[in-house]
Amino acid sequence: MSKLFVDLAIAWRSLVQHRRRTLFLGSAIAAVTALLVLLTGLSTGVRETMIDTATTLSTGHVNVGGFFKVTAGQAAPVVTDYKRAIEVAKKTVPEMAFVVHRGRGWAKIVSDTGSMQMGITGIDVTSEPKFASVLQLVSGRLDDLAQPGTILIFDNQAEKLGVKVGDAVTISAPTTRGTNNTVDVRIVAIAHSLGLLSTWNSFIPIDTLRKLYQFNQDSTGVVQIMLERKDLDHIPQISARLRNALEQAGWRMMAPDPRAFWMKFQSVSREDWTGQKLDVTSWEDEISFMTWTLKALQGMSFVLIAILIAIIIIGIMNTMWIAIRERTREIGTLRAIGMHRREVLWMFLLESIMLGLFATVAGVTMGAAIATGLNALHVHVPVGLQFFLMSPFLHISVHVSALVWSVVGITLVTTVAALYPSSRAARLRPVVAMSHFG
Amino acid sequence: MKQRTKSIAFIAALLAGLAVHGRAFAALTTPQMVDLLKIVDDRQKNNGDWRASAYLEQKEKDKVDVVYETEYYRRSSDQKFMILFLKPKSSAGQGYLRIDKNLWFYDPSVGKWERRTERERIGGTNSRRSDFDESRLAEEYDPTDEGEEKLGAYTAHKLLLKGKSGIDLAFPMIRIWIDKDSKNVLKRQEYALSGRLLRTSYYPKWKKVHSESKGGDVWYPEEIRFYDEVEKANQTLVMIKAVDLKALPANLFTKAWLESKSR
Repeated sequence: MSKLFVDLAIAWRSLVQHRRRTLFLGSAIAAVTALLVLLTGLSTGVRETMIDTATTLSTGHVNVGGFFKVTAGQAAPVVTDYKRAIEVAKKTVPEMAFVVHRGRGWAKIVSDTGSMQMGITGIDVTSEPKFASVLQLVSGRLDDLAQPGTILIFDNQAEKLGVKVGDAVTISAPTTRGTNNTVDVRIVAIAHSLGLLSTWNSFIPIDTLRKLYQFNQDSTGVVQIMLERKDLDHIPQISARLRNALEQAGWRMMAPDPRAFWMKFQSVSREDWTGQKLDVTSWEDEISFMTWTLKALQGMSFVLIAILIAIIIIGIMNTMWIAIRERTREIGTLRAIGMHRREVLWMFLLESIMLGLFATVAGVTMGAAIATGLNALHVHVPVGLQFFLMSPFLHISVHVSALVWSVVGITLVTTVAALYPSSRAARLRPVVAMSHFG
Repeated sequence: MKQRTKSIAFIAALLAGLAVHGRAFAALTTPQMVDLLKIVDDRQKNNGDWRASAYLEQKEKDKVDVVYETEYYRRSSDQKFMILFLKPKSSAGQGYLRIDKNLWFYDPSVGKWERRTERERIGGTNSRRSDFDESRLAEEYDPTDEGEEKLGAYTAHKLLLKGKSGIDLAFPMIRIWIDKDSKNVLKRQEYALSGRLLRTSYYPKWKKVHSESKGGDVWYPEEIRFYDEVEKANQTLVMIKAVDLKALPANLFTKAWLESKSR
């Protein structure tokens, strides 16, 4: 143990002695580590925002959706007898945090100055525990959405339709029987845009949606099951379990298809069956059309991180080469007085481990501080970027595990980078090393 | 003493002024306003069947003016209503039918019925179904008095009407000017609940016909001018002609009857 302390003391003295080089290399490693922390934090932040926004606006972590076909050629996104489906889900999914049901529709919204096609989601706002936490209202009151004949839209839609809170719009959509129906609704709330998902989405009370589509009280669009974050990795197993349970309870099930429900209309309409079939999907299935943004960001982060690590490796190796060159005579002396090759290798490795450890700890501290500062500042992202980030603000999510991984990972990289120069130093013959000039 | 007399005289003059002012703008009580609306409604009520021609001239910015020739029918007993488009050729056969408080639109080019709401712009013009129907202001709105106002040579009661809940209305809020003498509507301003002015309507000509079923006169606006307050350049002129109060066939207010008109 005391030998280790001696080795550590030697490594420390060596780092202090070559202060300028240590500071220069340490700063570079710290900066790269901070950048790594910020990049992974941004990627994690986007992923978390995407999950939170998507699971609030358009999907549960696990969904029991499906289609009802009056005739073989007409499919509607409807779940009949949904209360029984909820009962089955409650028994089968003990990981469930809570469950909500929502109506699904696609309609034309007509104002006095314009119109637009958009998705309409029927909700019971009083039974939606997370809804208020994700939306940021520009005007109006979310509680008013509990009143029949009301609607919540997003600011970009309000701008397009030329409406404000209190104005009326008409929703027009074909019923499952093909007859066009309309309802008048009053705008009670306008929320900040949440990017891609809010561009074509609006919310109305589920009873208003039922009135529009002429559904009865036992019908809904989808049962959305929300899980705790720790259970998100088990979604495939939970989905399979739920699918079996619903099948055993007597429902006909659709074959697993990892696409959003609205992408299945054409294929379902072509199938030769009528009545009800249920479909179990995950949140990733329902937003599969946009997870490419996350994958692109992760890919970009990976490339950047790879470049940064290559820079660290080159920097460390280069610095070690210089250090060994400067200290060749010292190595020769140490070898001459009896130090083994292994000990020389260990001495240089310990130096780089120590440098890597101190620098990465400083780097993660700096990265975490910058992330905390940026989050506290509520930095607005440009509108174009909001579209993909699904949030008006920049959100960097830094977890302790990510910090630990950054420290361990980069220290390991610095150690590996120092391995070859250190082994070359250890292999020097004492006579050659001692006669070295330069 | 002289100063005190001056003060008393000033206060007396002020009170007298206020009394005169108060008498000139005496607010109507709620029952008085409801009674006034009932009179307005009653003057236009027929208590029977109604048939008339309506010409709708639509002016829109950067578009050619269009004139629609229509016939419309209504039955007081069950509040049925129908409007049938006769001209231009592109719109001939289209129509609106109101049964059981549901407004249906029929387009013969697609042969389908669509359920519409009271906000529906009739034929895409600035008129609404309620503009052609019997007045039901007392039944559908709660009034607030806004005093009297001069509209040209006419003195009018000015009321703010707010729609009662649970009733499907074209406009949730209306400011209305009612001629103090004749009790005819002179002007209306229609608003959204947000307070945004959506439309201004003028009723420059009123006519009356004798109704057997009512046993009295039925008043109707021969001309209505609608000005779109959102799309400022758009306006609609409605001319109502050839009013006939004879009983209509029993099967007239049916989908089949309207469909048959385009075959």
